[in-house]
Amino acid sequence: MTLQAYLTLAAMLFCIGLFGVMTRRNTIGILLGIELMLNAVNINLVAFARFLGDVSGMVFTVFTICITVAEVALGLALVILIYRIRRTAVADHLDLLKG
Amino acid sequence: MSLEPIVFWALAVVLLASALAVVLTRNLFHSVLYLALALTATAGVFLSLDAEFLAAIQLLLYAGGVVTIVVFAIVVTERLVGDRITQTSRQLAAGFGIAGALLVAILAIFRRSPLTVPRPAVSGDLTRAIGQSVLTTYVLPFELLAVLFLAALVGALYFARPDD
Amino acid sequence: MAASGNFALWAWLAPAVSFLLLSLIVPLRRSGKPAAWLSIVISAGALSAAVSAWRSAVPDMARRILWEWIPVEDGVLTSVGVLADADSTLMLILVALVSFLVQLYSLGYLSDEPPASLGRYYAYQSLFAFSMMGLVLAPNFVQLFICWELVGLCSYLLIGYWYTRPEAARAAVKAFWVTKAGDVGFLIGIVMLWSRTGTFDFSELFEMAQGGSEALTGLGLVMFCIYLGAAGKSAQFPFHVWLPDAMEGPTPVSALIHAATMVTAGVYLLFRTAFLFEQAPEVLAAVGWIGAFTALLAATLACVQRDIKRVLAYSTVSQLGYMMAAIGAGFAGAGFLHLLTHGVFKALLFLAAGAVIHAVGTNDIFAMGGLARRMPQTFTVFLIGTLSLAGIPFFAGFFSKEEILGATWEGGLTVPFAMLVVAAFLTAFYMFRVVFIAFLGAPAGSAASAGHGSAHGSHAPGHAHDAPAIMTLALWVLALLALVIGVGFAFSHPEAEFAAPGWLTPLAVGVAVGGIALATVVYALGWISSEWLFRRFALVGEAAMERFWLDDLFALVYRSGILGVARIVGWVDRYIVDGVLNVLSAWTLTLGDRLRRIQSGQAQDYVYGIALGVLLLMVWMRWPR
Repeated sequence: MTLQAYLTLAAMLFCIGLFGVMTRRNTIGILLGIELMLNAVNINLVAFARFLGDVSGMVFTVFTICITVAEVALGLALVILIYRIRRTAVADHLDLLKG
Repeated sequence: MSLEPIVFWALAVVLLASALAVVLTRNLFHSVLYLALALTATAGVFLSLDAEFLAAIQLLLYAGGVVTIVVFAIVVTERLVGDRITQTSRQLAAGFGIAGALLVAILAIFRRSPLTVPRPAVSGDLTRAIGQSVLTTYVLPFELLAVLFLAALVGALYFARPDD
Repeated sequence: MAASGNFALWAWLAPAVSFLLLSLIVPLRRSGKPAAWLSIVISAGALSAAVSAWRSAVPDMARRILWEWIPVEDGVLTSVGVLADADSTLMLILVALVSFLVQLYSLGYLSDEPPASLGRYYAYQSLFAFSMMGLVLAPNFVQLFICWELVGLCSYLLIGYWYTRPEAARAAVKAFWVTKAGDVGFLIGIVMLWSRTGTFDFSELFEMAQGGSEALTGLGLVMFCIYLGAAGKSAQFPFHVWLPDAMEGPTPVSALIHAATMVTAGVYLLFRTAFLFEQAPEVLAAVGWIGAFTALLAATLACVQRDIKRVLAYSTVSQLGYMMAAIGAGFAGAGFLHLLTHGVFKALLFLAAGAVIHAVGTNDIFAMGGLARRMPQTFTVFLIGTLSLAGIPFFAGFFSKEEILGATWEGGLTVPFAMLVVAAFLTAFYMFRVVFIAFLGAPAGSAASAGHGSAHGSHAPGHAHDAPAIMTLALWVLALLALVIGVGFAFSHPEAEFAAPGWLTPLAVGVAVGGIALATVVYALGWISSEWLFRRFALVGEAAMERFWLDDLFALVYRSGILGVARIVGWVDRYIVDGVLNVLSAWTLTLGDRLRRIQSGQAQDYVYGIALGVLLLMVWMRWPR
């Protein structure tokens, strides 16, 4: 398949993930959407790396996967902490930044 | 009729369908399961791009580790029994609008400059190339990654400590 | 001849010294009588300097002493100093003489005043003398205008001397306002003249007029503007309304300022700049007509007044009209002559009236009566002044009045001439009306309470007596001067600039005698009652009682006009100017409030923002160009 197909796939996945981030009420749901977006980026990187013959894209992907894992771990730790304090994981209730 | 387009289309359908399921399912736990499916399909895509090492990492870390962590978080924050795991979505129309518009914009960019580069032949072992690249060209980010993990570990320990 | 200028300078600066001393050294001013004597002595010195200046002045030659004042690039813009020639020094003598006599007289008239007020009065008197002399001796328009305004200020201060009386304060403000209207025109005229000719200086302008300079063509509007200033100050119609009200001030002030000197400044200005007015004959014609009309109007108004000072005030307005008419006819010298003689006998009349008021305690002539027996000296001098004013031969006013009548006839202003003749008849009539009612005849019943004006010394008519010596001295000096001038002119009078027709003298005398006769018939003999006379001229009489509604007209213009404009401007300011600002600030507040809602505190909304931003960025970057 052409590079364009892979990129289109990644773009669709990315927008689905964005949709999830914007609409989900539960904080963990939001994190799932972020996961999808990161996956789309990874597909993009790998596709470019494969089609352009440069392996750097794949190395980049390795790094992003690792960092994502760390980020998810800590993000969820925060969600748990907030749940402990506020007894809710609904993002709408976390509006202390309201101006 | 070559195998490759069929595989690609199958993987694409599964990936997108499961992704949609992730963001639209009311039950949070089902969402997580659909996410696992999506991550696995991504691994399949990696495989179709001859990136076996990445596919393996994807399965190990993502489909294995991340999903597990998320499940734990759900267990802690929601009650599994009962209908407390549901989550509704907000402002679906606006979200759909913006995401859709973004998709259209990106596709429009693709249309303008179609990338019809043919797939070059595989030159040597990609895994070996990745390994060599990591430890030579990108050794610094590699080390920093280790530092990052350390920081994440310490942070997680800090968060996990009991309230005194 | 050099001495003339120096004497004039000393005469001018002496009152300045007095004013400075009195205004700066507060204990001196508060001491009252010593301050008064200081001012009187200095004004006596000024008088002698003025006389010396006149005697050493050579006709047709002027002596100038100038100091540069405002330097500009090539030369000097204007200067200050004195311009002493035969005419200006003569006027200087009039000013100095009347000022000195009035100050002497005031010491007696205002003897009941507290010392601090007396000192203030003499400070103002000194300032006035200084300003008036500066005006008379001015070598250019700038100094003249500055001194013009200064005398206006002094008039305001002195009319409102008893400032605790609301009528006095109002009269002072009215005088200031009405003359200010004229002064605006005056200033505009001066500046326009300067922009035409490039100079303010009288001598330079005179040379330009002699040489037929181009710049002096088409000066109609300019000279009319300058005339406006004179019209305001010299109480020409319709600006005459301030002069009767100015009688609220003390009588010596009325004698000095509103009879002899300040009001004549306008006439003096026109006389001084006659060579400029000759370039604009249409303006001169207007001056003549307005002057004659003013004379007739004021004479009519004087016939119905009860207040003795107001009779004299309207009389002054009328005589000023005479002077202006002569100037308008083209014979400024006749007007100037009448200015000088009128200054003498009108001041005399005012001071005599002041003596009467001081003794009787009221201004109302119907509350007086039979004063001739009680106050013989005052009666005598008043009669001398009246005969001068009426224009009877061998008295001061006869010759100058006849000159004016001749001038208007020769100048071709026939209708004004007729108006002046009728005014002469009325002048004799109303003055003798006062004589018969106030001085002859039976005293009024009970003592009148304080009428208009001051409540000085509330003696009843039955207890009236002649004034103290310090006041009668001034009276006799002026009376003798009037007689000397009158008799002197009868034998050797100044050369007339024209040949008067033969029937003029009999006409003038006959008209005057006719007026006296009518007054006798009505008021002394009672053959015709005054009410019958009033009903004969009912229309005019009623209008005269209302002062021809001119005051109401002015008030209407000021109140509705200026206040209306002020209200409109206020409305614009409040609703439009402030409104714009208020709307802007309200919008800012609303906008801020609306913008605030973007910060919902929900992270997902911020993601919206980011996504939208990225979208817009992509669209903007890739938009087909």
